[in-house]
Amino acid sequence: MTAELSFSNEIINMMYATHGNPISLCLQCGTCSGTCPAVEFMDHTPRAIIGMIRENLKEEVLASNTYWTCASCYHCTVRCPAGIDIADMMYVLKRYSIWKRSYKEGLIGPDFAEAFVKMVVNSGKSYEPILATTYLPRFTAAQLVQEALTATGLVLKGKMPLLPKKIRRLKNFQRMVKRIIPLGEAS
Amino acid sequence: MTERIGVYVCHCGTNIAGVVDVAEVSRWAGEHLAGQGVVVSRDYKFMCSSLGQELIQKDIKELGLTRVVVAACSPHLHEKTFRNACASADLNPYLCELVSIREQDSWVHTDKSAATDKAKAIISGGVARVAHHEALEPLRVPIHPATLIVGGGIAGIQAALEIADAGYRVYLVEREPSIGGHMAQFDKTFPTLDCSACILTPKMVDAGNHPNITLLTWSEVVKVDGYVGNFAVTINKKARYVNEELCTGCGICWEKCPWKVTDEVFEAGLGKRKVIYVPFPQAVPKYPVIDAENCAYFLKGTCKACEKFCPTDAIDFTQKDEQITVEVGNIILATGYDLFDVRRIPQYGYGRLPNVYTSLEFERLSNAAGPTGGNIVLRDGKTVPKTVGIVHCVGSRDQNYNPYCSVICCMQSLKFAHLVHERTGAEVYNFYIDMRTPFKDYEEFYQRLLAEGTHFVRGKVAEITDFARTPEEEGRMIIQVEDTLIGKQRRIPVDMVILSAGLEPRQDAKEVGKLFGLACGTAGWFIERHPKLDPVATMTEGIFIAGCAQGPKDIPASVAQGAGAAARVLGKIQQKEISLEPVRASINEQQCSGCRICNGLCPFNAILFHEDRMVSEVNPALCQGCGTCVAACPAGAISGTGFSNEQILSQIEGLLLVNVNGKTTEAVPA
Repeated sequence: MTAELSFSNEIINMMYATHGNPISLCLQCGTCSGTCPAVEFMDHTPRAIIGMIRENLKEEVLASNTYWTCASCYHCTVRCPAGIDIADMMYVLKRYSIWKRSYKEGLIGPDFAEAFVKMVVNSGKSYEPILATTYLPRFTAAQLVQEALTATGLVLKGKMPLLPKKIRRLKNFQRMVKRIIPLGEAS
Repeated sequence: MTERIGVYVCHCGTNIAGVVDVAEVSRWAGEHLAGQGVVVSRDYKFMCSSLGQELIQKDIKELGLTRVVVAACSPHLHEKTFRNACASADLNPYLCELVSIREQDSWVHTDKSAATDKAKAIISGGVARVAHHEALEPLRVPIHPATLIVGGGIAGIQAALEIADAGYRVYLVEREPSIGGHMAQFDKTFPTLDCSACILTPKMVDAGNHPNITLLTWSEVVKVDGYVGNFAVTINKKARYVNEELCTGCGICWEKCPWKVTDEVFEAGLGKRKVIYVPFPQAVPKYPVIDAENCAYFLKGTCKACEKFCPTDAIDFTQKDEQITVEVGNIILATGYDLFDVRRIPQYGYGRLPNVYTSLEFERLSNAAGPTGGNIVLRDGKTVPKTVGIVHCVGSRDQNYNPYCSVICCMQSLKFAHLVHERTGAEVYNFYIDMRTPFKDYEEFYQRLLAEGTHFVRGKVAEITDFARTPEEEGRMIIQVEDTLIGKQRRIPVDMVILSAGLEPRQDAKEVGKLFGLACGTAGWFIERHPKLDPVATMTEGIFIAGCAQGPKDIPASVAQGAGAAARVLGKIQQKEISLEPVRASINEQQCSGCRICNGLCPFNAILFHEDRMVSEVNPALCQGCGTCVAACPAGAISGTGFSNEQILSQIEGLLLVNVNGKTTEAVPA
């Protein structure tokens, strides 16, 4: 393939693996945005994002906080009358944004997502204290105290280990991950 | 080979000639197929033009052709044209074969030389086949002048009146106690705001009084036998428990009846009716029906109030269901629609939130003859709503429910908005995805609503909830939606919600279709013969469809289709007899083993089994020549006229001839 893919085609291709229909079928009815519990924190509604992708407004989409705000409740996907998997589209946009190293300044999302993927690829497990470093600096003093109390409680009840653990046969797991994340650069 | 065959290759303008070298194909057929009996081969710009047809006719007369092969478009389009051309030159029309080098060749290929070779192969197949054709005579059957119409809604009534006015007998079968259908339930009709009952009841009365119309209400068709022109239809007349000859329709019985039940059908669950009842005051016929499921006499053996008070002794508790058989030549199905069940969308809260209404409920609510006398009030029966939300596309244009547009909901919702505004002065919000107002004076009605100050919010409603987030929302219903034109999620508090539910095929459309030999499309509506050019006929001869049974439509379209179906039926009746295609299956009794595999496969119920001789037989008038049985018969005992083994096999041989004999060096595409 030598021809340059348009932005909308890149996203449609990346969405090929979602179970839903292509975003070209979107009616712009707004069911997703009307349903979304996090929409008031988004700079564009999910419906508007779909419209922008279809019209190749790449810069505007990459500068948006919409998909970093998505809480992955999948309510939009369930209700969409055109059968589009909108929540998974949000994940596609996150991956695309990290792949292109282009996202809105000052968001927790990209750092958090990157830290999470790195950690899982390196150990095979999620470990909260490492993840916390991505968002703790933005906390107020009161929030930090609350967070520390929660963490202590978790450790005391044996819900969180003091040191990170690794899974067995980590090498095999990492080989598997390499196959399913062809964008690769995450690890 | 004694046949003298003529081959005619059509250019179809550039449709064929743009890809296939027509002159070369024609030259080749004349030279290389001479051994198969081809005596003349010509090409012409438009074979179907009268000049093209004359060319064929002239050759038949002057060269004494006994067979004709036309290579042009699909037989669907012009087979009749060329058969008729041959017939008027005194050649049996079934000795003409039309092979498709357009749909099956030029339109689907770009490689010119390969497409030209394929055209040669197709013509070679046609020539080999036509040599084995037999002269056939069409089957002529008389047409019974009576007509059966199933469904007494506006489409059925219109069709019945048209046919009856022309002087022919009509049997109008209706499942409910009265004709009238959904239109009788409505208050106003869009966009003129005519009173629905005022324009419908004169037609109902006409149908009821017409000497040529036999009304069979409270009845259902149970069996259809026969074929076009000669159907025998068995109808179950459910017991009314009222003697129609004695009843005067005075109404004392339903006044005196002490038992009330919720009317789920006519009042859409909003109102009550007596157990002996007519669904509405202008019902036709005027005779009431006893609802045996709820009648105290049938449940407990007591009461009989109606019988005591009836001045003409018309009540007859001993009546039984009665089956009658009528003979008709044609059938029109106008069975209508069901309303989409809005409970299937739980986030719209119907059934959970009391003041969410369906469109049909609102029709009754706003109807002067309805349960509230036309007062638009909440379920408590007295509060007048201050804000009303009307939701479009409920269950329509949604892949989770029905993907199609239900056609009438936009206009119906505008009508509701107008009625609410006019009668209550309430603020009205319409929630739409696309505003569809495509017919005469419809857009003007939308303009009128805009002028009235109705709020139009473009966005599909996400949910309707009573969970308040602000004091203003307390105690009301909140419609949550994205206002897509503003690009913001909005929560709009309202007192009443009307769900403009879509139209669905009748629940039993599949069974009814099977009864009459009709197929339903993916959405479940009956399939018409052609979506553009033959929307009221069906693939089964003599059976027509009208109104919403064919697909969602409004009242003017239903009336037009009812009248259209009637015109088609009258055309058939006037012919007195009908000629049927002689392309039929027939069974060789010597070879038939009596396995009955074909009996169940026939989609037209055309095969009967003779128990005494243990053989099956095809009724040629019922058979549509589809060939299913021919392919299925394990003994090879069934042959299809016009599709005999000899004809098919020689056509295949002919198709392969181009390669087999190595007469061309270029390969024919596989």
